[in-house]
Amino acid sequence: MFRAAILRAARTASQSAVRAQRPAFQRITQTPFLQSRISTPATSISAIRCYASSSGLGQDEVTGRIMDLLKNFDKVQDQSKLSASSHFTNDLGLDSLDTVEVVMAIEEEFSIEIPDKEADAIHSVSQAVDYIMAQPDAH
Amino acid sequence: MARLSGLQRDVLTLYRRCLRACRTKPTETRANFERFTRKEFGKNMALDKKDFGTIEFLLRKGTRQLEIYEQAGVRNIAG
Amino acid sequence: MALRLATRRLALAQQAPKVFRRGMATPTASDTLAHTKGEPLSTISEATSASRAPIPPSKTTTIKEPETDPQAKIKTFHIYRWNPDEPTSKPKMQSYTLDLNKTGPMMLDALIRIKNEVDPTLTFRRSCREGICGSCAMNIDGVNTLACLCRIPTETAKESRIYPLPHTYVVKDLVPDLTQFYKQYKSIKPYLQRDTPPPDGRENRQSKADRRKLDGLYECILCACCSTSCPSYWWNSEEYLGPAVLLQSYRWIADSRDEKTAARKDALNNSMSLYRCHTILNCSRTCPKGLNPALAIAEIKKSMAFSS
Repeated sequence: MFRAAILRAARTASQSAVRAQRPAFQRITQTPFLQSRISTPATSISAIRCYASSSGLGQDEVTGRIMDLLKNFDKVQDQSKLSASSHFTNDLGLDSLDTVEVVMAIEEEFSIEIPDKEADAIHSVSQAVDYIMAQPDAH
Repeated sequence: MARLSGLQRDVLTLYRRCLRACRTKPTETRANFERFTRKEFGKNMALDKKDFGTIEFLLRKGTRQLEIYEQAGVRNIAG
Repeated sequence: MALRLATRRLALAQQAPKVFRRGMATPTASDTLAHTKGEPLSTISEATSASRAPIPPSKTTTIKEPETDPQAKIKTFHIYRWNPDEPTSKPKMQSYTLDLNKTGPMMLDALIRIKNEVDPTLTFRRSCREGICGSCAMNIDGVNTLACLCRIPTETAKESRIYPLPHTYVVKDLVPDLTQFYKQYKSIKPYLQRDTPPPDGRENRQSKADRRKLDGLYECILCACCSTSCPSYWWNSEEYLGPAVLLQSYRWIADSRDEKTAARKDALNNSMSLYRCHTILNCSRTCPKGLNPALAIAEIKKSMAFSS
């Protein structure tokens, strides 16, 4: 059991290292032991969940994480237009299906589930940031 | 973005359901399921948005396929 | 072309009353719709038969009987065609001519002959060819019936029209999607439900009188002809169970060996499941097995009225 936990921790740690470029400062400071206790296998791929330090995400951090996510999204045609106020369709050239994918990726990034109705209303980086900021359980 | 019609929103809802179903798949094969989803939707990208009969048929077909592929026994997908 | 249309109209005018006598009730809305489109009267069912109206036979080609001899009795069949592999293409009516001398007596024989000798892409369900499997249920000349039990009318002047079951989603050509129908059948728990074991430990016995109550019910083969002929079912197929499933429901309610009668009735006791039957009686008229689903529904309603 303990060995499995260690392995899991190692795996999540290495995965988070691969998905680098994220300004996830508080995560780096976590000890592996604490991670192994809190990461659940089902969500270990997405992010290291850390309930202890989740209280309050800064607007800059949220924006940064969403921008990184878009930077790695291969459908974004013009990386130079990527900014905190980019519109998914008008600026980044994404179609509606790509927008769905972006919003789903944001869901995974922040470990929340966005209901269809609200998800359909998110069309830009700033809208996504506003939505995440309004969610108390976003990480 | 232009306001979406009800049918268009149904398509997006199905797409979202498919991607959510992909998350339940094993980590190793999840990318295959996602690629398959994108390909299936991509096939009909050029469809006229006023071709309601066809879109409704494809939605029904897609929902049926999703019901089959989202079963836990389906662990990998080709194509 | 005009002459052909005119003769067809004439032929149709003569058969029109018969269509109404035999056929299902057809909503007046689609009646007027068919007329505004300038299509003959018998194309009414084109508006109601499948999820999308097909291109009429006058605008499609006719595939002819390969060889003809002087005594040939050539009859024309218009058959609904739709291929799901070309989802953007519209359904169409394909015409075929067959020599009745070389064809078996039933509509299914004609379909099989077309598939074997003329057009192998024609798709339909068939299995027993003797009216016991219910696979070949389709709408022939305006009536839902089994192709294997439906004789080809011998007068060659009249053209036959074959559609899938009305108001069903079409899988391909004459194959309807009966998923919803089977789901509803499952929902009524069509099996013996008992808590107590049989007294002799072997069989659940039943008196001859009790057994007789199941006559006219157990023969149903679930071909869906009745349910898909019911206008009430057309408009409310999500919630109304339809005559076939209600007949089966009554088959278990009437069974003396079943111990969940009260629960079965309770499940039907809402405004949609049972009471959407407005005694239109298309079901009893169309049943290819000569059963009477409307009577079974009336019996359920009666027993509900007396028991509660």
